[in-house]
Amino acid sequence: MLTRRNTFKVAAGVAATATLGVASGAHAATVVKVGIDASLTGADAAAALRVVDGAIMAFDEANQLNTVPGVTFAYEKFDDGTATAGQYDPAQGAINARKMVSDPSILAAVGPEMSGVGKAMSPILSAGGLITITPSSTNPDITDPKFASIYRPADNHAPVYFRTVTTDAYQGPNMANFFAETLKAKKIFILDDSGAYGVGIANAFEGQAKKKGIQVLGHEKLDPKNPDYTAILTKIKSLSPDSLYYGGVTQAGAKLAKQSYDIIPRVMKGGGDGIQGADFLTAGGFPAVEGWYCTIAGPHLAGTDAVAAFTQRYITRFKIVPDDYAITSYDAASVIVAAVKQLAAEKKPITRASIRSTLLTITVPTLQGPVAFDANGDIKSRIVSVFKIERDAKKAVNDESQYVYIGQAPQA
Amino acid sequence: MSTTTAGAIAAPSQAGGKRKAAIIVGLLILLLVFPALSLTGVPFLQGLASQANVDVIATTISYALLATGLNIVVGFAGLLDLGYAAFFAIGAYLYGVFTAFQVMPHWSGFWEPLQMLGLVQKMSIGGADVVHFTLSFWLAIPLSALVAALFGVLFGFPTLRLQGDYLAIVTLGFGEIVPIVFLNADPITNGAAGLNGIQAPSLFGYSFGVNSVPYYYVAVVLIVILTFVSIRLRDSRVGRAWMAIREDEIGASAMGVNLVNFKLLAFASGAAIAGIAGTFYIAKLQTATPDMFNFNVSAMILVMVVLGGMGSVWGAIAGATVLSVLQFWFLQDLTNWIHELGTATGIGFLNKLDLVQSIDLIFGVILVVMMMYRREGLIPAVRRSPNLNFDAQHAVVHRGGFIGVERLGRYTVEQGNALEVSDVTVRFGGLVALNKVNLVVPSGGVVAVIGPNGSGKSTLFNVITGLVQAESGSIRFRGEEILGLAPHKVLEKGVARTFQNIRIFPNLTVLENVLIGEHARLSTGPVGAILRPPGTRAEEKRAVEWAKDIIALFGNRLAPRTAQTVSGLSYANRRRVEIARALASRPKILLLDEPTAGMNPNETLELAEQIKDLKSLGLTILLIEHKLDVVTRLADNVVVLDHGEKIAEGPADEVRRNEEVLRAYLGRGAGVSHAA
Amino acid sequence: MTGFDLFVQQTINGLTLGAMYSLLALGFTMVYGILELINFAHFSVFMVGTFVAMGALQSMGIMGQSVILTGLPLVGVLLVALAATMTVCGCIGMGIERFFLRRLRSVKGPAQMITTIGISYILSNSVLLFIGGQGFNFPNPIPMLKYHIGGAVMDVRQPLIWAISAVLMIGLTYFVQSTKLGKAMRATAQDPEAARMMGVDVDRVVLTAFFLGSAMAGAAAVVFGLYYNYTNFYIGFDAGLRAFTAAVLGGIGNVPGAMLGGLLIGIIETMTSQFISTNWAEVVIFSILILVLVFRPAGLLGRVAPNKS
Repeated sequence: MLTRRNTFKVAAGVAATATLGVASGAHAATVVKVGIDASLTGADAAAALRVVDGAIMAFDEANQLNTVPGVTFAYEKFDDGTATAGQYDPAQGAINARKMVSDPSILAAVGPEMSGVGKAMSPILSAGGLITITPSSTNPDITDPKFASIYRPADNHAPVYFRTVTTDAYQGPNMANFFAETLKAKKIFILDDSGAYGVGIANAFEGQAKKKGIQVLGHEKLDPKNPDYTAILTKIKSLSPDSLYYGGVTQAGAKLAKQSYDIIPRVMKGGGDGIQGADFLTAGGFPAVEGWYCTIAGPHLAGTDAVAAFTQRYITRFKIVPDDYAITSYDAASVIVAAVKQLAAEKKPITRASIRSTLLTITVPTLQGPVAFDANGDIKSRIVSVFKIERDAKKAVNDESQYVYIGQAPQA
Repeated sequence: MSTTTAGAIAAPSQAGGKRKAAIIVGLLILLLVFPALSLTGVPFLQGLASQANVDVIATTISYALLATGLNIVVGFAGLLDLGYAAFFAIGAYLYGVFTAFQVMPHWSGFWEPLQMLGLVQKMSIGGADVVHFTLSFWLAIPLSALVAALFGVLFGFPTLRLQGDYLAIVTLGFGEIVPIVFLNADPITNGAAGLNGIQAPSLFGYSFGVNSVPYYYVAVVLIVILTFVSIRLRDSRVGRAWMAIREDEIGASAMGVNLVNFKLLAFASGAAIAGIAGTFYIAKLQTATPDMFNFNVSAMILVMVVLGGMGSVWGAIAGATVLSVLQFWFLQDLTNWIHELGTATGIGFLNKLDLVQSIDLIFGVILVVMMMYRREGLIPAVRRSPNLNFDAQHAVVHRGGFIGVERLGRYTVEQGNALEVSDVTVRFGGLVALNKVNLVVPSGGVVAVIGPNGSGKSTLFNVITGLVQAESGSIRFRGEEILGLAPHKVLEKGVARTFQNIRIFPNLTVLENVLIGEHARLSTGPVGAILRPPGTRAEEKRAVEWAKDIIALFGNRLAPRTAQTVSGLSYANRRRVEIARALASRPKILLLDEPTAGMNPNETLELAEQIKDLKSLGLTILLIEHKLDVVTRLADNVVVLDHGEKIAEGPADEVRRNEEVLRAYLGRGAGVSHAA
Repeated sequence: MTGFDLFVQQTINGLTLGAMYSLLALGFTMVYGILELINFAHFSVFMVGTFVAMGALQSMGIMGQSVILTGLPLVGVLLVALAATMTVCGCIGMGIERFFLRRLRSVKGPAQMITTIGISYILSNSVLLFIGGQGFNFPNPIPMLKYHIGGAVMDVRQPLIWAISAVLMIGLTYFVQSTKLGKAMRATAQDPEAARMMGVDVDRVVLTAFFLGSAMAGAAAVVFGLYYNYTNFYIGFDAGLRAFTAAVLGGIGNVPGAMLGGLLIGIIETMTSQFISTNWAEVVIFSILILVLVFRPAGLLGRVAPNKS
């Protein structure tokens, strides 16, 4: 490991001078520019747009309300999707990270959306001393202290990759506890959607489920682009499990919900925050999604007035329904705004470094509750809230209230 | 006269060559100094040479490498490969797996020698000693080239019998399979989550880390080397063989090109370059997930090659550059520029325009527009043929055969028969194409085969040259059995042929066509082609001289057209090129399938004289011909085929009077009187 | 469920999936048969078809799975949706041929194929930009009836899909075999030059092939939507790729081959999921394809053309 650490010194040195330049420049400036990175081209484009819009809304509102007197927030969108990859492209993510680092006016970033991109961006951002807050990438490796010399080599391994979502390392296991203790699941089949998020959360679930004595009948990967899951569901049916866990996002999730409703209607079904949101309700549709359990990686806010108001403003402005990651993205941007506000209030210089050190001490009230970060940049809250989808005919099909709060999942 | 015209043709192309060289050197210098712009202190130049832009170019060059490799497979050899990203993935994961913190077996004495070589490190995790692979980047580059090339051969093998689009679907299949295997091989590849901590390359103790400048220079060195390799291969016996396969597989094999070897060599070369690109790409990125290598990537690399100009080395690079810069840089930043323009001009509409989500759409439009209006590509591979002057365009009709035929040297006439065809039967399904045909060509003799259409004449040629299989019988050439040999083996023995419907290589020049005829007599392999040692140089020089000698035999019919692509030649000239190509292979027997078909009486006469010249030099000739006057003039002996059977044999005059022959020609039941 | 029941169940699943692949494969095979062109735009025409069908059903008041029809209204609604989607898709196919590919027809090499890749990008990204990238709940007015066959269960939509596919494929086969235009089509596939000399209007034949192939994709889109009740802007890719594989497996350019190939791919896919793992389904499909082509280079029902020299 030692050699590896040395190797990064050079790069860090290069970046250090850049940061210095920034510090002196930003002192006088009243504009704080933030880079927003998401996969706006290709297969994930729709979700990416919501993430970007969530962050944009937070900054625009801060400007309108003059949240930080004397400071204007500006943002620049970065697209890490390319036509060559047809989806997110880590190479483009690396380029974007370098663009942000070499633009002295950019002091913080929101994104990326995908863990694959995050892995390529994190070392570069670290060398440039530029923090980013991801609203949706949940692969634990990036913030794992075990890999600190890889993903945050510079500045004595100071955290650079912050999250307003919990990593897969908590959400999956907590839900496994819920399946074992609350739902009394005995025999389970696990599916994932072959994506980094889906595989990660499903593996974490599987590990804890086994510890809890649930018999895992199998764990297979769905091809998210394949329309047909009837064959695997038939196989699952023949194994007669009492429950099914799905790690993944709506892409495969909606099709899975529909087809499993036809083939294994009586099996208990659950997933992570990937299927928490209007998209799952709309694309899956009732009655197929009825009875699905899902989680969010945070506390459930009683009387979600803040969220409801946010949703309303979001729909009014962007004409689309926000999903869970639009909220975490709004929260990520809000955290940056709060950090800048604190710095301005304390009359401290607003630099990349000062924003980072502020993030490590600050606690920010957000839509998902108070957000604070640990020494690795992970969100401190380990609370995983469980919901069950139950049709409320009075509300719109894709209304968030179709998710009925059950309680907090037992901590792993 | 021929020398002056040749000089006139050479002059402008040399000037063009100088300009081209100047452009290349200029671009190279620009590439080399580009990152240094950041040291100039000029803010604009510093911004231009930012880490991000340097990375954009390094990534672009990665794609240029891939396009260069695919160009060998698709552009040179004409093998449509839709799964090229598989080799990219193999190169990437080879380096990734052997440097990332993923596969970490327990430490044992076995690893100690490897540790001394610097390939592994001893690490301790949770008290247990484990192995951490630290394969050197510089070692990984040749290694991944080798491993990818092996997979290229492995994947190429099942496709050898397939053509065109079947080949495409099989390669597409491999392209789908490889990433899925990497996805499912979690313990080795960390599956969907991707590899962690792929090692950055280091040189003399300096690690590249996340600084994009050293990667940039590695990319520049790689592209320079591989472009050089690519050009050297193209302009060699190997490249000519590939292009012959691309233009006409059957023609290529009949001219001595071993299809299996050269197709596999193309797959292997292309795969090796993709492997190198993969290792470089992943070392720069330091993470790898299986979905970075999906079908989309294969399709895009193909698009780069086509956009640049299939078969054009510079085109592949240009295609990759244009598409990559467009995606990674131009379209990404276009929105920002438009917004700035909107702010500057006060046009509100421009301020609101957001193109980021439209990149794929714009991309699709560009593809379609390019294909509609400039499909030969940005830098087309086919050189525009030089214009001919008046003298060259107007052929001087020669009587008396070849000009300077003595250049060919005398053929040794051996004792006995050159070719003995005995009891050969060929069947296509239920149809008997040849039924127990016997035929003998004495050494130094000329035998003509005549017969109505569909009588099996061309099938006879095909079975002799190995293009169709015989059910039974024997074909001996100079006492040696050649039945069942592959076409290129037959040519190697000294049997060269022409085809009834001409199988020359349309997009190649006259000279290249004739040089391919020499394929079997030359020995340059890929290594020789790239390194060009003195032996190879001398061989190539001799080959070109010989080809020019052969072309010169046809006087100003062909000589002024040496550098023209044959697709633009007249029908008669194409026949001449095919004969020249066959002669270039230094045959011991020449099989001519209706050589005068489509020629006017003057041209026919000219060619007949030329064939007579060859005969007088002692070359053995087997001839299919409809024009009986030509047959009479040339042939010692005539064999008549009808419905796959030999119905008559003898001297021309005798056969001419044979009643059965006339019936065969004019239809059964036709009276002899009608024929007169 | 016994092993046999399971086998029956997976066969039912596989045949349903295969019927859809077959419909989609027909479009590939018809265009390939005549132009020797791999038409990547076909993927996206199919995808656009699912949106057209969704729009047609929604405009008739069918939303989600809440409106269930029976009897004549059901038949009427399905026929209207089918007719509308097939017409629109057929016209898109014709437009692609008429305005883009026709101008490139005499061009050798992959220029046409690249054009279809470009068109595919344009179609799918237009849907992304103007309709949206999220998943859509495709309406389904068919009542949820289940039939038990031993331990296996058959959804009423499954035999319906078989019936629709069978009718369309028989109709298409009849058209190609017996009508004047169909014969002209086969003649053109054999030898376009000779066909032209014999007075065949090749342009019209090619246009018809695109119309029919794309209309079949439209039919596949309706059937697909009704069965999975889901669509999305990139849904065409995986289904299209498997359908293309099916066309090659059966012998590309061969109409019965496309049907056989589609059904085989469907069965292989479900059986792999059952007996091996869904992780490896695609690997198995392509491995079988490669093996078949190695031993029968022209596909299962295709004929190897003798070398012409």
